[in-house]
Amino acid sequence: MLPAPFRSFISLTSALVCALTVAAAQAQAPAAAPPSWQQGRNAEQEKSPLHPFAIEVTGKSAKQVPVDKLKVPDGFKVEVWVDGLPGARSMALGSKGTVFVGTRQLKDVYAVVDRGGKREVKTLLKGLDSPNGVVFSRGTLYVAERHRITRYDGIESRLDSPPEAKVVVDGLDPQNQPGHFWKFLALGPDGKLYYNVGAPGNIVMPAYFQAAISRVDPKTGVIENYAQGVRNSVGFDWHPQTKQLWFTNHGRDWLGEESPNDTLHVATRKGQHFGYPYCHQGDTLDPEFGKNRSCSEFTPPALKLGAHIAPIGMRFYTGKMFPAEYQNNIFIAMRGSWNRTIKQGYNVTRVTFDADGKPKMEPFLTGFLVDEKADPPMWGRPNDVMVMRDGSLLVSDDQNGIIYRVSYGTK
Amino acid sequence: MNDNRSAAAMFAAALSFFSHCAAYAAEEVPQKARACIVCHGPGGNSTDPAMPSLAGQPAQFISMQLFMFREGNRKDPQMSPMTSSLSNADMNELAVYFSRQKPAAASHETASENAAAGRRLAEQHHCVQCHGPSLLGLQHIPRLAGQQFAYLRTQLRGFKAKTRADFDGNMTSAAELLSEKDIEILADYLSGLIPPRD
Repeated sequence: MLPAPFRSFISLTSALVCALTVAAAQAQAPAAAPPSWQQGRNAEQEKSPLHPFAIEVTGKSAKQVPVDKLKVPDGFKVEVWVDGLPGARSMALGSKGTVFVGTRQLKDVYAVVDRGGKREVKTLLKGLDSPNGVVFSRGTLYVAERHRITRYDGIESRLDSPPEAKVVVDGLDPQNQPGHFWKFLALGPDGKLYYNVGAPGNIVMPAYFQAAISRVDPKTGVIENYAQGVRNSVGFDWHPQTKQLWFTNHGRDWLGEESPNDTLHVATRKGQHFGYPYCHQGDTLDPEFGKNRSCSEFTPPALKLGAHIAPIGMRFYTGKMFPAEYQNNIFIAMRGSWNRTIKQGYNVTRVTFDADGKPKMEPFLTGFLVDEKADPPMWGRPNDVMVMRDGSLLVSDDQNGIIYRVSYGTK
Repeated sequence: MNDNRSAAAMFAAALSFFSHCAAYAAEEVPQKARACIVCHGPGGNSTDPAMPSLAGQPAQFISMQLFMFREGNRKDPQMSPMTSSLSNADMNELAVYFSRQKPAAASHETASENAAAGRRLAEQHHCVQCHGPSLLGLQHIPRLAGQQFAYLRTQLRGFKAKTRADFDGNMTSAAELLSEKDIEILADYLSGLIPPRD
């Protein structure tokens, strides 16, 4: 028998050989990366049946969906405004009344023209790359695609023969990033175009220009980061009085049924950091990225909106149609949730402010969510909200490609 | 194909459809679906290994693929022209019709040495994550169980080569690391699975 030191050397060697053999066997069969929406799952979640939902790319007509299930508060009325716009998302209003509508999974921008109560849908622009963001200002339509922002001048007089795109800024997606690459677009009170670049995954370290809201001066094409640590915001607006930027934000997935909340934020100045990927909902450190960090480093949200509820478009209500108490309230379109067993959301939520300016929320337009435990749980998904000149509220639904109108005091 | 042969093929397909119809479906075949069943088989049950079965596939999957053909994301010498004149409403109607047809029993027999290996690959490469533990599909995700062998193989090769359009990039990334042998085993395994009959 060998002396003890030799025995242990041999057993160590054989253990090493075994380990290497196992490693080699595993290395022979490399596995593909899991689908990107699964990134960030823990071991217990590996067999989770939760999954995101895809839109109907062909759309559905209003007759094919249970519109009669929609509910609004007393005195309000909801109706189908127009259908036949598959993938309808962000909306913008032209000075002559044209409603421009962007898409994310399709390549089109639509124009809806209202002719005495009869609405016509034109596919205005085709072949674009995730043209989610649309803004109208002084006769010009601006469109935010995956990689660039473009302008179409004098668009409302050229709806049947739109001009060639002029580039405002290009190169916004230098890495062809995975994750949240589609962009919301809005015009700030400073005359600059604000847009998001989302995080390139569920919970990953973003580059300096990612997980941010940036702005570009349309005259010069110069861009600046405005807000950082924003995982993905696809809806923002400026308070009518304070002129501060308010925005919705999607929290990370796979951190639990009730955690973290998606959030509503206010940026009181340029340069604030809102937490991602270190701190979620202002008070919850990320199990991986939050080590050795503190949530006190970051600007907390103005309001927690609910876990995984997916707030998209938001606007302050400034119209004259709804009752006076709705003035300067916020409407938010909730497009989720999918990353929880008991689904919630799929509504338009109203945010009110108390005397101290503290926000709270209540459901406003409901009925899309049919069965919180079913797969799918809903038949429609609110995506953006927009106040019309008569004070009514349009709500886009990209699941079906339908726009609804909420009015008050009409029969 | 000249017009006479095409008409004959249509006629034969129609005949075989009507006999099939008596056995399975009470639902009348929509006019629009008659052109589909020439190749995809009566009720969307293909007997050609290169031609996918549509019977019992999720409606959202069918309408999405038709859309991708029409819009040029997916390209195919037969399907591109077939879809060019379809409206979205036509696509939805076809999707609903074929989703309601009962899938025929799998005609493909998986080689015995590929059954366990195929399952292993399906788990390792995350097929089961989206297509479901029994590979039955859901919403916009197709059922793979019992699908035609050569069709599955062609699609996997296409995803790997990045020539087959992908709605969200998940299939392209899933197929990236598959070897030609893996593709053969996976297609053989999936094609032999029994699709549900109800």
